[in-house]
Amino acid sequence: MLSRVAERLYWLARYIERIENTARLAQVHSQLMLDMPKSVKLSWYTLIEITSNEDFFDEHYDAKTEKNCCWAILGDRDNSASLMSSLWWARENVRTTRDSLPREAWIYVNELYLLVNENKEDFYVRSKRNALLEQIIRSCQAIAGMLDGTMSLNTTFKFLQLGTAIERADMTSRILDVGAFFVAQETEAQEMKQFESILWANILKSVSAYFMYRQAVQMEINGKSVIRYLVNDPNLFRSINHCVSMMQTQINVLPSSPEVNQSILELQQLIEQKIPFELGSPVLHNYLDDVQMQLSKVHNEFYSTWFHPSTTQETTQQQNQ
Amino acid sequence: MKIQNNYPHHAFFDEAISSEETPRDASKELFDHLNNMGIDELKERQKTAEKTIAQMGISFTVYSDKGNIDRLWPFDLIPRAIEASEWEKVSLGLKQRLKALNLFIEDIYNDQNILKDEVVPEEIILSSKDYRPESRGMKLKHQAWACICGSDLVRDHKGEFYVLEDNLRVPSGVSYMLENRSVSKLTMPEAFQDINIQPMHQYPYELLKMLRSISPTDSEDPEIVVLTPGVFNSAYYEHAYLAHEMGVELVEGSDLVVDENDCVYMRNIDGLQKVDVIYRRIDDAFIDPEVFREDSTLGVPGLMRAWRAGNVGIANAPGCGVADDKVLYAYVPDIIRYYLAEEPLISNVPTYLCSKESDCEYVLENLNELVVKPANESGGYGLLIGPKASQDELDTFKELIREDPRNYVAQPTLNISTVPTLCDEALEPRHVDLRPFILHGEQSYVTSGGLTRVALVKGSLVVNSSQGGGSKDTWIIELEDK
Repeated sequence: MLSRVAERLYWLARYIERIENTARLAQVHSQLMLDMPKSVKLSWYTLIEITSNEDFFDEHYDAKTEKNCCWAILGDRDNSASLMSSLWWARENVRTTRDSLPREAWIYVNELYLLVNENKEDFYVRSKRNALLEQIIRSCQAIAGMLDGTMSLNTTFKFLQLGTAIERADMTSRILDVGAFFVAQETEAQEMKQFESILWANILKSVSAYFMYRQAVQMEINGKSVIRYLVNDPNLFRSINHCVSMMQTQINVLPSSPEVNQSILELQQLIEQKIPFELGSPVLHNYLDDVQMQLSKVHNEFYSTWFHPSTTQETTQQQNQ
Repeated sequence: MKIQNNYPHHAFFDEAISSEETPRDASKELFDHLNNMGIDELKERQKTAEKTIAQMGISFTVYSDKGNIDRLWPFDLIPRAIEASEWEKVSLGLKQRLKALNLFIEDIYNDQNILKDEVVPEEIILSSKDYRPESRGMKLKHQAWACICGSDLVRDHKGEFYVLEDNLRVPSGVSYMLENRSVSKLTMPEAFQDINIQPMHQYPYELLKMLRSISPTDSEDPEIVVLTPGVFNSAYYEHAYLAHEMGVELVEGSDLVVDENDCVYMRNIDGLQKVDVIYRRIDDAFIDPEVFREDSTLGVPGLMRAWRAGNVGIANAPGCGVADDKVLYAYVPDIIRYYLAEEPLISNVPTYLCSKESDCEYVLENLNELVVKPANESGGYGLLIGPKASQDELDTFKELIREDPRNYVAQPTLNISTVPTLCDEALEPRHVDLRPFILHGEQSYVTSGGLTRVALVKGSLVVNSSQGGGSKDTWIIELEDK
């Protein structure tokens, strides 16, 4: 497989996964904002922080309103990390690798693009936003399902899997960050406790893992066990642990390098360590930050091994993290 | 009332409806269907077709001052029907033509017998901007120089087919021909159940077979790639489509590399992989900066070395554009007679060569009745349509012709045929041409029909999609004995 094509496929999968997760993130946040009392400081700006868009937001928006925050991460084409930009790039990547993908890949992604582009104003309106996000999530699931159901386990598929796995791990860690922000609040532990289960249940729902969690864990929903579940559970497709295993599986059958193997190993060790978790402390957030940094390192090794082996790891315009 | 009643009469040959308002044989069953549906239903289905095209993202790129825009492919629901027995004759003529042209190209780059025998004047060849001295001395497998040809056909007022021009460099449109069929199967499924329409989707397999046949290696499984200039090219959609349908890699120039042993490789995730055949969709001038334009970043340095060393097959071969010159076109009937000792089965449109003094005089005097074309343009650019031109335009062209007679040819304005097309409230006649695709490798192949292009503006003769033309599905109909 061509290096250029491998790179585009990898990014195609990342963008699809990112679109879905951004939609999920915005959706769960809407729910949380409805459920949480005013005393808990969870603002729409948290969305901007979780997705690392603070610089862009501060430069382009004057007020941290719901409308502004939602538009910045969903509809704003000037923000290279917005859902709309990811969708645009996903479409561009599938358009330029169409020859190696099932025909439906192009049609599905193109359809999703047309849908969102025609209705993007809905991102502004609370009552319509959730319906559109719901449709986006459903479309992304359909795309992933179609690829799973029609492709052979060839190199194309492997790079798609790799892109999906790394992006999913990254986004799961970001979604968990919603909880990390919460636990780091300087509020009375007792007051927080009563909302804790609502928060973590919402986080589980945001990755459609609520039901699976209920089946796996029969006790009260609390932060520690949700984090353990979403980080370490070997059987949950969205757990970071599972994503790392997915990457390991693919790397074993791709022409890989010692650097790639090493960076994945380090990530594995990070996942296996006991996760720090204390109310009123930023340690969880810092831990999730470490996970994201390690993922970024893994990503760079992919670059120097397969995509641009001879050159330095320069990133092009679309490869903004 | 039938849908074809009140269909406007005019002086042109209509492909579907005779002057007595009855459908011609090939279109009879089609019109039974159209009449069953009625105009409102047809308009509904036209909308469905357009929606399908948007969803499937069938588009082409238009160059403009403001950058490149992807436009949706324009499609008219009403197909154009041609009888199979008639098409059979046309396809024989097309194969004959391409075979002769390939013999001609090989002769030009080798012994030049046809020039020595003065059948074609030498200066025409040597002054052609697509003549490539870099291809001299090359002999190719199956004499396959122009392996893919898209010839434009028109019908005159009597309904006879003429070749208007041969496109031998990087002809495009075949993917749209196939997509038109897909859309029309979706929007008119009943018709396909009842009418005996020849299938056309075997084209990509025929193309692959042809490309395999020009591979320089004996390998059972030669590595074939489609070489595209990239996503901004107007035909990028087609490049991706064909690579996809053939299951081969779509590569850009920077994906390929030629080593010191003159072999071509592509840059893969696990290193370099040898390439045997390149279906290139980049013009000669850009394919190899070592030999042609130095500033080209689209091509592959060393590609000509690899080709000349016999290490890679290229379709179409470098230099085959020499037979795609509108001046040379006038000589094609003689070329067929010279190499094949046969009479041409399809005629040329009469052509005046401004390079010939007597022709030039005639052209300058009768400019307002002629169509003037620059010898080496494509896409309908730089044309003069005499009867529709202003005095200023006529004067400008007179000047242009006098300055560079070699660069201009003129043809009588043909009364090219029309086909019923869905307009606001009824079917109206619109002018059409037809681009079938002919393959030449170990074997020859002609598509079943071709890309029908239609001038959507009333009375217009311009069918190019880049200039507002549309397209239709083309049906080759096997008539059943009744």
